[in-house]
Order: sequence, then C-alpha cells, then structure tokens
Amino acid sequence: MNEGIPRKRIACLLLLIASGYMMVGCGRRESEAARHKVIVLGIDGMDPQLLHRYEQDGRMPNFERLEQRGSFRELRTSIPPQSPVAWSNVITGMNPGGHGVYDFIERDPNTMLPEFSMARVEAPAHTLSLGSWVIPLSAGKALLLRRGRAFWQILDEHGIPATVIHIPANFPPAESRSRTLAGMGTPDMQGTYGIFSFYTDDPMDGEGDRSGGVIYPVQVQDHQVSAKLYGPPNTVRKGSPQVPIDFTVWIDPTQPVAKIAIQDREIVLREGEWSDWVQIKFTLIPGLESATGICRMYMKQVSPYFKLYISPVNIDPSQPALPLSTPASYSKELWKQVGFYYTQGIAEDTKALSDRVLTDGEYLEQARIVLAEQLRFFDVELAKLHGGMLFAYFSSLDQNAHMFWRAFDKNSPAYDPDVSAKYADTLEWFYQQMDQMLGKALAKADGDTTVIVMSDHGFAPYDRSFNLNTWLLDNGYIALKPGQRSKPGDLFTDVDWTHTRAYGLGLNGLFLNLRGREHWGIVAPGAEAEALQNEIRDKLLAVRDAVTGLAPITRVDRAQDVYSGESVRDAPDLVVGYNRGYRAGWATDLGEFTTEVLEPNTEPWSGDHCIDYTLVPGVLLSNKKIVRQAPALTDIAPTVLAEYGIAKPANMVGQSVFK
Amino acid sequence: MLGNRIKLDDDLFEKIKKCSEMAGYSSPDEFVVHVLEKEVTAILGTGEDADDEEAVRKRLKGLGYIE
Repeated sequence: MNEGIPRKRIACLLLLIASGYMMVGCGRRESEAARHKVIVLGIDGMDPQLLHRYEQDGRMPNFERLEQRGSFRELRTSIPPQSPVAWSNVITGMNPGGHGVYDFIERDPNTMLPEFSMARVEAPAHTLSLGSWVIPLSAGKALLLRRGRAFWQILDEHGIPATVIHIPANFPPAESRSRTLAGMGTPDMQGTYGIFSFYTDDPMDGEGDRSGGVIYPVQVQDHQVSAKLYGPPNTVRKGSPQVPIDFTVWIDPTQPVAKIAIQDREIVLREGEWSDWVQIKFTLIPGLESATGICRMYMKQVSPYFKLYISPVNIDPSQPALPLSTPASYSKELWKQVGFYYTQGIAEDTKALSDRVLTDGEYLEQARIVLAEQLRFFDVELAKLHGGMLFAYFSSLDQNAHMFWRAFDKNSPAYDPDVSAKYADTLEWFYQQMDQMLGKALAKADGDTTVIVMSDHGFAPYDRSFNLNTWLLDNGYIALKPGQRSKPGDLFTDVDWTHTRAYGLGLNGLFLNLRGREHWGIVAPGAEAEALQNEIRDKLLAVRDAVTGLAPITRVDRAQDVYSGESVRDAPDLVVGYNRGYRAGWATDLGEFTTEVLEPNTEPWSGDHCIDYTLVPGVLLSNKKIVRQAPALTDIAPTVLAEYGIAKPANMVGQSVFK
Repeated sequence: MLGNRIKLDDDLFEKIKKCSEMAGYSSPDEFVVHVLEKEVTAILGTGEDADDEEAVRKRLKGLGYIE
C-alpha cells in the first residue's frame, strides 16, 4: 500500500512532465508554423479577361511571371457577385446562408425600409432629456452584421500572427488579437457611405442635396466667402442636428489662390490644388464631449466663380470616434507611420464625379491619392512581415472600372471620344500599379512564403438598366395604393403591401411578400411560395430587350438551391442574375418606380459586376501549384488555415486550393 | 358621431365622387381620407414614419451603386 502511493505520485509527475513537454512541443510547433509567411493580395474587381489582355500587351510582367511559374485559375465568385457578399465568403469560408450578407442593401421586414447590410451604428438606448440636450445614459455602438468567425480569428487561436488591412465587411472590426483595420462598410462622420460638401456661387451648379453630397450656395463679398462645414449629428442635442463649423475663405484679388481659415488652421491652395488632410474638432457638449474628423479640400476654381470641394468628413484614425481597428491603437499606430488616411469604407468619391462636382481628371487625382495611401500601408506592413499572414486590400481596379469603362468601350451609351482620348488607358494604368505592388510581394517572398493574389469578382459593361420593381408592377406582382399610379414615391412608400406578392430590393434580390416573415406578408410559405418563385423566375428569363434583342436576365437562382446555413431565412427568395451589359436600374434597388422597364445607362458609372455570377469570375494566382480545378471564394479561408496546418471548421464549405 | 362629419356642398361632392371612381377608389370616403392624409402630412410634415424614411435616405447616401 505504502509503495503504491509514491508510484502513483511518480506516475502523476510523469504525466505532468509529459503533458508539459507536449505543451512546449505544441508551442514550438506553433511558433515554427508562425514563421511561415502567407501574403494575400485582395484586389477588388480584378477581371481575368482584362488581366490577360494587359499581360498580352506586355504591361503586367509580374503577373505574367507569377502565372507562368506558379499558377492561375478563374475564381468562382459569390451569389450575387457583390463585394460585401464576396468578401464575407472569403472571410468566413461560408456562403451567404452562413454569414447573412446577401447584398449591399437589406430590408427590415417589419417596416420594409432598406438599410445597409454590413454594419449598423446605433444611438444610445437610454437618454435623459434636459432642455435642448439629450444626455446619453448608455453608450451608442457600432454593430457588425456579418456573422461567422473570420479566418484570422482562427489563426489567433493557434498563435499565428496576422495583419489584415482594409478587408471589406469587417466594421466594426471583429474582436481579435490580430492587427486589423476596417475597410468597406466603415461610415464617414455623418454615418453615411460618404457625403461631400461643395461650395459654389455659380448658379449653374444648383444647390441642395445630391446623391453623394450637398451643394451649398455661397456669396463672394470683398474677396471673402463665409460658410459652414457640417460634421456628425450631435446626438446629445434634441433632433440630432449636425455640428456646424464656420470657416472663411480669402480670395487673392490678383492670383488664382485662396486661403481657407478653419478653426486654428490656415490652408493656402492654388486653383486646382488638393489640400493635405485637415483635422477638425466637432464640439458636442462644450468642455465635455467632442469628436474629431478629417477631410481634404480641393480648390476647384477661384474665379470667375468660386468652387470649393470638401471631402466627406472621415473618422480620425488618430483618435477614432468609432472602432476602426484591432487592437484599438492600431489605427493610430498606422497614422504615426503614414500620416492621416481615408477611413471611410469606399474612399474613391465616385459620387462627386457622377454628380458632376468633380471632372474626370479631378476625380482621377482623388482616386490616385486613395491608391497611394493603400500602397503606403502595404509597403509599411510588408517590410514588417517576418512570419504569419499579411492580407492587403486594394480598391482601385473596382472603383475605376466602374467609372472609366466608358473611356475604352465604344458600345457604352456614356462613351465620349474626347473622354476616351484622355482616359482610355486609365484602367490599364491602375492594373499596372497592381503589377508593381505584386513585384514587391514577390521580391519579399522567400522559400517559406506563399503568395496568393485574388479578386472577389470580375467586371462587365453596364450599358442598360433593368428596373425590376417597374417590371414587377407592370406584371401585377406589386400593387400601389389607390390614386398613386401616375408617380409613385421612393422607398416603396406608395406600395400597397396587402396586395403585393413580390418586390425587388438591392442590386440582385427579389423577395416574396411572405406571410409570417414580412409584416404585411400575403404569400403562404410552402407550395404557394415555391410556385410563385418558379413563375417569376420563368417570366424573368423570358424577357427580351426590344432594343438589343438580348435577354437582360440570364440566370435566376432560388435561395433554397444556392444557400445553406443559419441565416437562410434572411435570404432573398430569388437572386436575379443580369446578362453582361445589364444591371438593376439606379432607382429600382431602393424601391422606386420608373416609367420604363429598360433604359440606357448614360452615367459615368459605366462598368459593373452585380450580374449573373457565372459571367464575372475573379482571379486566383499563387506561387504554389493550385490543384483545385474550380476554386471559389469560399476556398480562401480554408486555404490560409491549411497553410498553417489548421483544419477548417465544419461550417466552412470550401477547401484548400493546394490539396 | 356628429363631430366627425364634414359638410360639403353638393357640387364638390359630385366632383369627389367622380374623381374617386376615375382613380379607382372603392368609395368617395376612401378618396377623401387618402387625399386629406396626404395634405395633413404635407402641412404638419414629420410624422414618425416620415422621420424614419428621411433618416434612411440620409444613411443610404454616398454609395456609388445606388442613386
């Protein structure tokens, strides 16, 4: 008996030592694994056809080298092929049925009002009203609406360091020990995707709201202009009025130069010059509460008319009013290294060009500023990479394919020979910048580095609009309130939901007005709903465009056929896949009705990808051999995990492309 | 419920009746209520729904894909 106890003690001790050894061994394996480097270059909108065209022209030597020495595949995109959906597939390894992001736009089935799908900023739940003040008793918060764990959170759990710059659908950033900076989905200080301010005394510019900003009429008196820059809504004041900041501009009487005085700053700009970032303090409660934002100014014209553009007021990364990064200090750390930078999710001000506030050339300059910032982040983080994963996101190809497709495609209704003469090569120039960036990554890659280049979708022309809600109205699926047939309002305000069976929402979504899901739902779930799904799908596929003779819609997917996971209930019942050259019309996606179902698209926004997903695959390149024959976006997360010997979680639907 | 009745002259009532038929309303009452609701909202402005819609319009601004 007495001898048995020491034996047990010895056995326990041995077990402890063994388990300790195993833990040390495991830690060593993790640290060894962490020395492996994976560089993922996420290039939004890189199109395989355009890439190969530019490669053939000899303009993309690094891509050509990677394709020849490594491998290339077309990458199956998401359903639908929209960036928030696609990047959520990348982040979680799940399809939208799992992560719950189906479109840029979603709706509240109780109110039928549209909302953004990626994030929501909520005001404080409890407040105390004192006179004109509303004192918050609890904090407001930002909510990430994407569900599911991000692949870098799983890397975290295994001790693999990761840096993730600007990946979309990650605002506010998912909790993580990794260094992450939020991207697409991050609002400006007004809580929007970005609202510019434009000050002008030219009566031809008009005044008031535009789709991407506000035009303020000003007066030049004694070579001086006084105006206000509007900041965030002051939620501690009744009615949440925007905080106004006075500023004054002095115009040089002889030279095309102006001086802008705002708070304690004086900025001198020549005509046609951009300012650096300007930090602005917005006081919410004097002496107690304030928030800072940053903006850039562009002195478009001094005379004969005064025209000043001010960018959307971005969240200040040096003291962010809303969470921008993990750890919280990372956005400030980056600011110390590269200076102020755009923090709003989509930084290129395409709306300022569409609203004719900036010209093609002025917009292009702003887009180049955005790219320069993204490349600076990449340089800084690439230099620091000694192990673990680096993901860097680039928006330029996507945004500038949207805006400059018309510059090289003579079939575009927005084609203009003068614009083409100046900007036909603009998109190619941005592709070349990506090639140079890839060259740096390849130079950094040693024998223990895997380089992955991927895009979320390709691109196509956007020549003609299909107004889905107008088609549904014409075909009797939408009913309007009595007396509203001539000019129905936007946001479905004149729709009679008690007699409406289906409606379009977002860029590809079509919902049935389902009983038990929609507040005023009338379609019975089950057989009736499925029959209606099939009926609408068949009718949409049969539509022909009398002008072109083409089918505007080439594919309609039913939710139950393409989605799986816990969020399927939120899915649109049908996903409308437009033909190459077509897209959902400008007004239809937010519940507005047009006179015509089909219209030419004459906007500068002349390229798009929110179409039949089989027509716009992305690209996948690597310095390793890609074995998987038809890789998809959902394979990226399992691929990165497998690079570190980590098994994918059961809810990830893809697999490593290298095995 | 006399307090809820509104007196209209016969000519106007005939016109209302005609309009309600032309616009597809089920009765002159429905037409009158609908027109008055619109006018009341236009004059008094901000009902809660209108506030919500305006807030939604503002939040959705700036996204290149939509108007």
